[in-house]
Amino acid sequence: MTKSSENTNTAVAQDPNEAPAGIPVLSLENVAYAYTKGGKKIFHDLTYRFESGKVYAITGPSGAGKTTLLSLLSGLANPTEGQVLKGGADLAKLDRYRFRSHDIGVIFQSFNLLPSLTVAENIILSIDASGKKFDEPKAEIARRMLERVRLRPEYANERILHLSGGEQQRVAIARALSYEPSIILADEPTGNLDLSTQDDIMDIFKSLAHDENKCVILVTHSPEVASQSDVVFQLAALRRRRPAQQGGQQ
Amino acid sequence: MFVLKNAWKSVIRNRGRNILIAIIVAIIAATATVGLAIRNASSEIEEEGLQSTKVSAAISLDRSKLISQAKSSANSDSSSSSGSSGSSGSSGSSSSEKPDFDSMRKQLSQSSLSLAKYEKYAKASSVAVSTYYSEQTSLDASTNFQPVESSDSSSSSSSSSDSSSSKSQSDQGGMGGQGGMGGGMANSGDFTLTGFSSDDAVSAASNGTFTMTSGKVFGYTSDSDGDVIISKALADFNDLSVGDTISVKKTIDDTTKTYKLTISGIYKNTSTSSTSSQGPMGGTSQDADNQIYTSVSTLEKLGIDSEASNADDTGTQLSYTYVLGSDDDYNTFVKDVKAAGLSSKYTVSSPDVEEYESSLTPMKDLSSFTLTFLLIVLGVGAVILIVLNLFNVRERKYEVGVMTAIGVKKPKVAMQFVIELLIVTMVGLGVGVIGGAVAAKPLSNQLLSSQVSSAQTEQTSQQQQFGRSANMGGAPGSSNSGSSDSSSSSSSSSSQAAPSMPSGDNGPGAAGATSSTKATSYISSLNATVNLKVVGELVLIGLILTLISSLVGIIFVMRYEPLQILAERS
Repeated sequence: MTKSSENTNTAVAQDPNEAPAGIPVLSLENVAYAYTKGGKKIFHDLTYRFESGKVYAITGPSGAGKTTLLSLLSGLANPTEGQVLKGGADLAKLDRYRFRSHDIGVIFQSFNLLPSLTVAENIILSIDASGKKFDEPKAEIARRMLERVRLRPEYANERILHLSGGEQQRVAIARALSYEPSIILADEPTGNLDLSTQDDIMDIFKSLAHDENKCVILVTHSPEVASQSDVVFQLAALRRRRPAQQGGQQ
Repeated sequence: MFVLKNAWKSVIRNRGRNILIAIIVAIIAATATVGLAIRNASSEIEEEGLQSTKVSAAISLDRSKLISQAKSSANSDSSSSSGSSGSSGSSGSSSSEKPDFDSMRKQLSQSSLSLAKYEKYAKASSVAVSTYYSEQTSLDASTNFQPVESSDSSSSSSSSSDSSSSKSQSDQGGMGGQGGMGGGMANSGDFTLTGFSSDDAVSAASNGTFTMTSGKVFGYTSDSDGDVIISKALADFNDLSVGDTISVKKTIDDTTKTYKLTISGIYKNTSTSSTSSQGPMGGTSQDADNQIYTSVSTLEKLGIDSEASNADDTGTQLSYTYVLGSDDDYNTFVKDVKAAGLSSKYTVSSPDVEEYESSLTPMKDLSSFTLTFLLIVLGVGAVILIVLNLFNVRERKYEVGVMTAIGVKKPKVAMQFVIELLIVTMVGLGVGVIGGAVAAKPLSNQLLSSQVSSAQTEQTSQQQQFGRSANMGGAPGSSNSGSSDSSSSSSSSSSQAAPSMPSGDNGPGAAGATSSTKATSYISSLNATVNLKVVGELVLIGLILTLISSLVGIIFVMRYEPLQILAERS
């Protein structure tokens, strides 16, 4: 069913004392999802593990359920069947609000920034929501994050409305990184960026994974992004795979 | 904590809409402030009531009830008698007959309460009650002591009519004695001799207040028996001074007796009642100047008091008044007296309380009108706020989606919305309370005065309709006020020349007179100030309004999943 460069049959490593890299922080266990009860399933029997310290690229044709998968991983939706496990615990049974605000940074395809707020306010809102305490002042964190995504400091007090798509995208990334989540989820994070910025952003993601041991999951169409990722998780359209599914593995 | 900060920021960001909401809230709050202040002030007035005022009460005969009783008993009598003759149509024929006046008069005459009974009820009271009473009878002039009057013919005519009138009175029994109707005839003598039980009774004299020009007021013990005070006009007319003796006559059952009385003092009326005019019907005895005051003890000694065996013939009438500390006491007293066995033929009434209650009418009207208005304003206000809030939340749907998507818990988002609305509401409330506080007093008095004037207009139109003041409650504006309820037998006398028209021996004459000296004046000013209680009530109203209107937002926030909102958006 799913093609992956990783072996999906690897046993779930539960030991926290194991080497930092390679810990499955987020895993899918036989996940199926349908928008309506008994309705068409977007995907079926999906099993996968996302480990810390790696950049994952989820690719696939339109309609394969990439964004839906991202919603499941970010705890915005619960799978119809199966489980999404966060460090071995069923996400559906955890406080998903805390999970979203605390453990995971999501960069949405449509950014989901509050247009009436300034750039800094958007970032600080996420820091506030995470409930995490930082030594640094929040405004300072926001400034540093903007610098990291190559935005000039004067953007801090600009309303989101006044920003271009690329700039908004970078603010969304800055926001997702601001409260230092252990998992970064991004939906087409480079879609609105020129090549050089795209490279900059990819460098950030890679550094997050490799230097800070975070799990970075990107949903992308771009072959370049996929090629720069450590692991590519190919999601195929379900209806094309239907016949193969019957005789498939598992 | 950040919820509060965000709420504040959001309020600042959406200035325009929030100012609009604040203005609406301010208007509601101002209206509510005025309304609550009015209700507060009027309920205070009602509560205080006559708490610290003395209330006089009297027991009076419910005459219409008595007459209907007499009628039914007469009917049954006649039907039983005709029943013996075997006629089946007896009841029809008896009802078509003339009313049985005699039996009714008999009933009425038997129904006057005796002094002992009055005192018994005073003792039965569980609250402190003081009492006073006066007895009134008519006297005739003697040759050396003549009443003040303009035409000398009345002397002879009155004395000649005297016997007939007293005769007619004795014929009529209690009918004349009972009520104001016959009172004039019963007292068609030359003087009215009034015996008082105490200074309280004197000060409540139907003639109004007076001052002594010379001498002193008589005492109430037997030592002072025979002492009287007369008016200055009468003294001057007869060229009398303190210490002189006067002789007066009284005809009882065709026997004329002469009484000698000593003048212990001469008084001058200070109340506005004029001494001149009197109706053609009234004898000179009704002239204020022809009032002779003495103690009840003197009347007793002379044998013409109401307890005397021949009281029916002397036509002496008893006015008994209870004085109570407050209107609450009055209500207790009414119950106690009923419990002590006062027949249902009698009613206890207090002109003071009635007067007071009628003076509250415009204020009560205003108060209830205010309540209705207040409820409407609050209702409309709540609807407006709900609608505004609904639009507000719908507009901010995306914000809710983003906030929940980044992991802000729904209750927190809802709380932010509530806090935002609360900030705006409280600002509006503050402005409204200040505005309302400033406007409350003048506005409430304005409203009240229009209520009073509408009550007066009604009164005036009644007056035009009747050609006189109608017996429908006090008319503060009219000069010839003092129209009183005739059923309670309170005398109508406040500004008339002959206020002493005895209203019968059923009591409230004296009480009625005291009340009629103060004409009905409506409560025309309200101290509708905004106090802590009003502010507290307003804050409560504000909170409730906020919660109700933000309920929409809360439901909205709680119902939607972030994915749903965000999916709709993209």
